[in-house]
Amino acid sequence: MRIDRTLAWFRAGALSPFLTGSIAARLFWLSAGWLVVALVATAFLLTELYSHALDTSLTQTLDFHLETLISHILDTGDPSSTDIFIPDPRFSRSASGWYWVITDDKGQATNLSSSLTGSVLPTIDVPFDADKYRTEAKTDEFGVHIRMVEREVTVKGRTYHIVVTGSLDEIFRLVADFRGQTLIVLSAVGGMLAIMSFIVARIALRPIGRLRKAIEAVREGDASTVTGRYPQEIAPLADEVNELLRSNAQIIERARNQVGNLAHGLKTPLAVLRNEAAGSKTRLGEVVRSETEKMTEMVSGYLDKARIAARTAVVGRKADPTIVMLRLCRVMQKINPNRTVTFTRPDASLPWFRGEEADLEEMAGNLLDNACKWSKTQVTVSMVAERTETATLLLIRIEDDGPGLTEQEAAKVLQRGVRLDEKTPGSGLGLDIVKELVDVYGGTLQLKRSSLGGLLAELRLPSARLGRS
Amino acid sequence: MRVLVVEDDKNLNRQIKEALTDAGYAVDVAFDGEEGHFLGDTEPYDAVVLDIGLPQMDGLSVLEEWRRAGKSMPVLLLTARDRWSDKVQGIDAGADDYVAKPFHMEEILARLRALVRRAAGHASNEITAGPVRLDVKAGKVTVDGQSVKLTSHELRLLSYLMHHKGKVVSRTELTEHLYDQDFDRDSNTIEVFVGRLRKKLPEEVIQTVRGLGYQILED
Repeated sequence: MRIDRTLAWFRAGALSPFLTGSIAARLFWLSAGWLVVALVATAFLLTELYSHALDTSLTQTLDFHLETLISHILDTGDPSSTDIFIPDPRFSRSASGWYWVITDDKGQATNLSSSLTGSVLPTIDVPFDADKYRTEAKTDEFGVHIRMVEREVTVKGRTYHIVVTGSLDEIFRLVADFRGQTLIVLSAVGGMLAIMSFIVARIALRPIGRLRKAIEAVREGDASTVTGRYPQEIAPLADEVNELLRSNAQIIERARNQVGNLAHGLKTPLAVLRNEAAGSKTRLGEVVRSETEKMTEMVSGYLDKARIAARTAVVGRKADPTIVMLRLCRVMQKINPNRTVTFTRPDASLPWFRGEEADLEEMAGNLLDNACKWSKTQVTVSMVAERTETATLLLIRIEDDGPGLTEQEAAKVLQRGVRLDEKTPGSGLGLDIVKELVDVYGGTLQLKRSSLGGLLAELRLPSARLGRS
Repeated sequence: MRVLVVEDDKNLNRQIKEALTDAGYAVDVAFDGEEGHFLGDTEPYDAVVLDIGLPQMDGLSVLEEWRRAGKSMPVLLLTARDRWSDKVQGIDAGADDYVAKPFHMEEILARLRALVRRAAGHASNEITAGPVRLDVKAGKVTVDGQSVKLTSHELRLLSYLMHHKGKVVSRTELTEHLYDQDFDRDSNTIEVFVGRLRKKLPEEVIQTVRGLGYQILED
């Protein structure tokens, strides 16, 4: 019945906060709980032993007094003689718990201690042993707890019972004092042990903290693998994390290669079909033309999607945006020699982009390509760190002096697959992949009116701490 | 204008060749990297259309080799791998522009036209020499606003001389740049075409520099 209830308690998850909470707290509370039980048991046991020892000692004293009285009776030959006495002042104080009495075979008291004058001792209920001796703890008329010892002796053919008692209350007081002191000492010991176990838990768990920091560094992009030496219990965990990161990177690399191969494999035949049909006025040419157009869009769209899907799992990467933009501006300047691409180089404290370098290239490159396509003579690029309440963002601004877009047009091109001028070269998917990547990284893309007269594209992306170039 | 097309896909190669020939270029073709590299290294081309994914030797290596050897003709890269890192790599290897597959043939033509024009130092699609005006894009020639009908060979010759306005162009150079590899090179034909051009254009436009060749004077 009780077991059933305990099981139910376990099943109800009564322990679950204990199992999922802090390991340090769990270690601490487990050892503290065990300490409390152990120390309380120790205190109880010590007190018992002490109390037992005191009681034994009292009984021995009383036995000694008993023997003294018997030897006095044998010496005097008269149990009622006034020469019979015990030289201990406690036997003279009434209600002290210290008494002696000699009774004859008729039950008449023939002699007694002055402390017992006017009162009667309780009788011992246990039977005599083989030595005609018995002992028991009782309470006298005054409520004092006493230890009683009794022996039966025969003097000149007559049987006498000699009873000697001593106060147990004194022992109880000593035991109570002892218990108090024991509790104080053991509490201090317990407190120290608890502090020790807390410190031990902290020290023992320190490698876990280090491991957490190392993994965090990987996520932050400060490290590519989990580094550091760890105790044998968690070293396999660090190794497994590294292995996971490695295989993840490998899978992504493989996926990218496959996507690249697929791209190459599909795009050349598509180009051939499209060109072959371009000059044809027949129905077949017409059909091939329109279908290859659709296939091209689909291939590009799905390749972009596949690339993005392969990207989302990448953690721990970051890139220097200045280097990426310098490279892109150099390329765009070379391709468009009759336009001026101006890159205002940011200062060295500009945070890095948290993500894959190729993705930043893809986003900024497509925006820059658009800007060059539409500009008359000028394209400018600048970057700043934008600090919001919750995070620091990397803001990339790309402007041109082209015709720009109205608010409605800007809103329209930010929808998927829309392009405004079908004649300007480009598949129209350039902005789509920018939008998708911006979504993947949780950034934003805004299209505004530039002070140069054309379009201003503002790309906001998550930032990372500076790294090594 | 003589152009080299290096593309391993036979159909695509043929299509580009046809389109370029139609547009008035003399076209040589190669189907792998080594052949392409050899032709580009030994023949004087005005532009090259180069695919990146080639057998024997990849396009970027071919391009790097040319640039290392001091070959400066404009190169238009064809790439199926249209990621920016691929584009950056191509431009850094020495390409002047790129077109991602699958492309419209007009795009290749437009880019190539711009590259040739730029290499000759002209900013727009129109080149003038006195009363003569050549629209490179449309392949049309006017004298004082009046349209002049030219055959494709005449147009090629005039176009080459106009692109290299102010420079004395030898007969050999003209032959090399106006005809593809397989053409039977007889320098007399050049003289025949110059003669015909002179009849259709004002006499003084094309000057003969004795012993050296021909020249269209700068304005």
